[in-house]
Amino acid sequence: MESMARRDMSLRKGRDMGDCVLVVDDDREIVKAIGILLEGEGYEVLKAYDGLQALDILAARQVRLVLIDVMMPKLDGLSAVMRIREKQNIPIIVLSAKSEDTDKVLGLSMGADDYVSKPYNPQELAARVKSQLRRYTLLGDIHAGSHTGELRNGRLLYRTEDKTLYADGEPVKLTATETGIIDLLMRNPGRVFPAEEIYRRVWGEDAFASENTVMVHIRRIREKVELNPKEPEYIKVVWGIGYKMEKQEKSN
Amino acid sequence: MDTKWKNRKKATSFIVFFAGVSLTLGGGIELLQNLPGDFWRHPDQVLQDDYQQSYRFRDYIAGHLENFLAMATDSYDGYYNCYDSYDYYGYAYPGIIQEGVFEREATDNIIVEQPALAPVEDLGMSAEELEDIANCWQNYSLPELTDDQWKEKRREQCQKLAQQYHEGIKKDQNLLYSIAYDGKVLYSNSELLPTDGSLTVPEDYNFLLQYAEGKVRIFKDGQELDVYGDGYYRDGSEWYVPGYHNFTVDDEMKKAVIYMAVAREPVLYTESSYARSNYQQMDNTLYWLRYNTLQTRTRLICYIAALGGGLALLIPALLCRKSRREANAAIARFTGKVWFECKILLFLLVLYVLFLLCVTQIYWDYGDVWYEWEYMIDNNMIDNIISRTLCHLPSWSHITLFWLVYLAATDLRRNRKVWQHGLIAKLYRAFSARDLGQPLSVKSAHRNGAAFAAAAAYGLMMLAGGVLGYAQGNHSAETVWGVGSLFFLILVGFLALQYRIGAKNMETARDLEALSKRISDIRSGNYAGYKEISDKRGGSESGNLTEATVKTEAETGDIIFPRDRNSRLAGHDLEDTIAQLEDIRQGMACAVDEQMKSERMKVELIANVSHDIKTPLTSIISYVQFLKEEKELPAHVQDYVKILDEKSQRLKNMVQDVFAVSKAASGELPMHMEELDFGKLLCQTLADMEEQIGNSKVTFRTEIPESPVMILADGQRLYRVFQNLFQNAIQYSLDGSRVFVTLQTDGCLAVASVKNTSYLELEKDKDFTERFARGDQSRTDGGSGLGLSIAQSFTEACGGTFSWETNADLFVVTVSFRILGNKA
Repeated sequence: MESMARRDMSLRKGRDMGDCVLVVDDDREIVKAIGILLEGEGYEVLKAYDGLQALDILAARQVRLVLIDVMMPKLDGLSAVMRIREKQNIPIIVLSAKSEDTDKVLGLSMGADDYVSKPYNPQELAARVKSQLRRYTLLGDIHAGSHTGELRNGRLLYRTEDKTLYADGEPVKLTATETGIIDLLMRNPGRVFPAEEIYRRVWGEDAFASENTVMVHIRRIREKVELNPKEPEYIKVVWGIGYKMEKQEKSN
Repeated sequence: MDTKWKNRKKATSFIVFFAGVSLTLGGGIELLQNLPGDFWRHPDQVLQDDYQQSYRFRDYIAGHLENFLAMATDSYDGYYNCYDSYDYYGYAYPGIIQEGVFEREATDNIIVEQPALAPVEDLGMSAEELEDIANCWQNYSLPELTDDQWKEKRREQCQKLAQQYHEGIKKDQNLLYSIAYDGKVLYSNSELLPTDGSLTVPEDYNFLLQYAEGKVRIFKDGQELDVYGDGYYRDGSEWYVPGYHNFTVDDEMKKAVIYMAVAREPVLYTESSYARSNYQQMDNTLYWLRYNTLQTRTRLICYIAALGGGLALLIPALLCRKSRREANAAIARFTGKVWFECKILLFLLVLYVLFLLCVTQIYWDYGDVWYEWEYMIDNNMIDNIISRTLCHLPSWSHITLFWLVYLAATDLRRNRKVWQHGLIAKLYRAFSARDLGQPLSVKSAHRNGAAFAAAAAYGLMMLAGGVLGYAQGNHSAETVWGVGSLFFLILVGFLALQYRIGAKNMETARDLEALSKRISDIRSGNYAGYKEISDKRGGSESGNLTEATVKTEAETGDIIFPRDRNSRLAGHDLEDTIAQLEDIRQGMACAVDEQMKSERMKVELIANVSHDIKTPLTSIISYVQFLKEEKELPAHVQDYVKILDEKSQRLKNMVQDVFAVSKAASGELPMHMEELDFGKLLCQTLADMEEQIGNSKVTFRTEIPESPVMILADGQRLYRVFQNLFQNAIQYSLDGSRVFVTLQTDGCLAVASVKNTSYLELEKDKDFTERFARGDQSRTDGGSGLGLSIAQSFTEACGGTFSWETNADLFVVTVSFRILGNKA
């Protein structure tokens, strides 16, 4: 994880300053911190300290992505998101101290593309910004029509022909076993597989103490695919039942 | 499949047992009942298939020889016919009865025609007896005859009788005979017999007896039999024929020569005269003798086979006792469903039917038994009757009786208190249960009603009795009426008093009922006013409660307990108690409300605080991150930054934990309950924490059943519970010790436990699930002190029970859930 982030960073340093990100929060220190973080990743950062200010900047400048806090004076984050959505289709990440599921669902239903709760993990935040931007800029057109032999789920794209997995458009290097698991899960998004079944279908033999083996591979895949492997969004454990590929409603 | 096989095995084992016992019983009883009476005397003859070997046959031959000898010397008087015409095997044969009757008549004729009997020495009678007879006969006018004339007359009679006898038996070709005297053949029914002293046996006849010179020679199947043994006749000697040293005949008899031949396989000889439409069976004794020998033999063989087969079947039945026991249990389950009364009735009915059938059977088989019984009953020989009955009962009745008793015993043994499952018991229970379910006032009304009715009935009875008794005493109508109405008035007064007491009791009962309802309300946590209305109105302010209560009374008219001397409760027995309860209720309502309020405030405070801490914490974490990335910092500053990083992360975890626990405690945690496998969840959690476990110095030992243990819970929360428990175990266990994770099913409960040995001494009486309780009071380790608290709150939120105990250094946490869809 650490090494991957570093590698990403080194890759990014060479890119042109181009993507313009708007950060909105009433806490100036946080805005500044995010600014430093994202500028370090090579983005141009615009700052706003309340909702109205953010709308002004959006009207004036070409912004590629918005990071916005929920509780702010003058115009709160969610209202601002709704106002932005009236005009623009740019990715919006909501940043909030409220970390409950209901808050997340509310934010996402208001039109936000992603939700990060405070206190955020800087690396995760950077990864999410990158993921959203990549999907918006590189894969924006592909959203419309999907080719045959391509399975899409949120950030992930799986080509069944050559059995390769793309996360945010970049191919993910997987071992044969991991590919087998991904193949199974991507073809059946949302379906829960008990460890025994995964073992039987991927390894092709009867399961014995399959739980640990499957779990090890799942963990490895998560590290390659998930933005925050500790809080996975795609490859999830259904406790007491099995494993599944979470269907991402938003992108489908 | 497995259960099918098991069921089959059960059924088979029972059927084998059933067949075995029935056959053994039937065979044994039939054998005992049908053993010939002489079995003990001649045990070897029971299965004899050669009828000529039987002692009866020998008796028959000896008897006939005696007759023939008598016939040869013209002294035959028909005496032995009576002997062999009666019973052979205890039952009579049609042929012989006829024969017997025929012979009897013949004998009777002799007496009529020959009033003066044979000489004294021939009859062996005492002189007095003869005198008696002679006196009897003196009244008749008898022709005066000389002794010689008498002798001649008697000889003629004997010859006539012998001729008659000869006519009677000669057509029975099963026994060929020829009787010669002094070289002249007197009687013979066959040409086939040798007359010249040779010993040739006719065809189809295998038995030849020759009497000559006072000696008997017997040839059977061509072999001569040893008739005389050592030459002396004893009680046990086989042949009662003359020729022994101590059993000889006089010279007259020595002149007789008799041949007898017996058919190998006797047949029935019948003579029909269709013109007179009657037919006559010949003697045929030999045929019946053989027939019965074979019949008895076949029957006995059948019984022995049944007995043997039954015993053989009993061996496998004994070997698979276990499945038979299961079969018994199945039968008992079935019989357990039948009402006790039905069982008793059925039992008695079967007994009665059995009795009737047995009586009929016995009557058909042994008609005369009844006369004996009457005699025995008259003489109080009950024991004898019972043993007689048992002896004569047909075997199937014994078998049926045995199974009836077996069923009853199984039922009694397997089903506890069989009599409780019956109509009467049901009715009794229904009534008592109905009474139990009723409110106190209704129960009290029932009792009062019963007491009143009983008192009234008793009083009326006494009244009637008294009046009638008085009326008997020859008093005038006026006094009777006067006394009667006086008694009646007393009775009415008594009943009125009774009614008054009952009414008062009812009032108290009603109050008691209301009171107990109040108490149970308070116990279940409903401290508010009497009705829910007051709950709604009163809300959280306890001050409103009294007011609400008073209003409720006005609105609903229900019983409530304000301390008002003018209320309807004034003067009731329980007035004070009710008022005191109301005081307690109000006090408790206030206290509980206060407590709830402060609890809620606490939770809210924690939630708000944790939320407010998050914003500055975000900045701290962000900037610490930047500091960490600064490469030019001096080493000691990098050290400080590292500490800052660690502590800020810990603070973050703590804030999240505090938030979670406060939410869980306030009951606002959203739950996603689903059916899941408890065992799998434990495995998944262990697999998920594998890295952490691998890096620790403790080892995990697991004992989780492979079959699914389905429970209803929120998987994510339950995962958190066990994550916390395992983390706790890793953190606080002695290095190198083992953590035991087990999942056991105990009836409808699934119990998971985590046991670890603490490296710190566990304090006694310390509540580890209290928030911020720590194994280490100094609080220098990484935990938030909320692990167990969260585990407990989440478990309880999922509907499970969480408990922990310490035993010396052993720390045991158990989490139990109800198993879904109990398969047992």
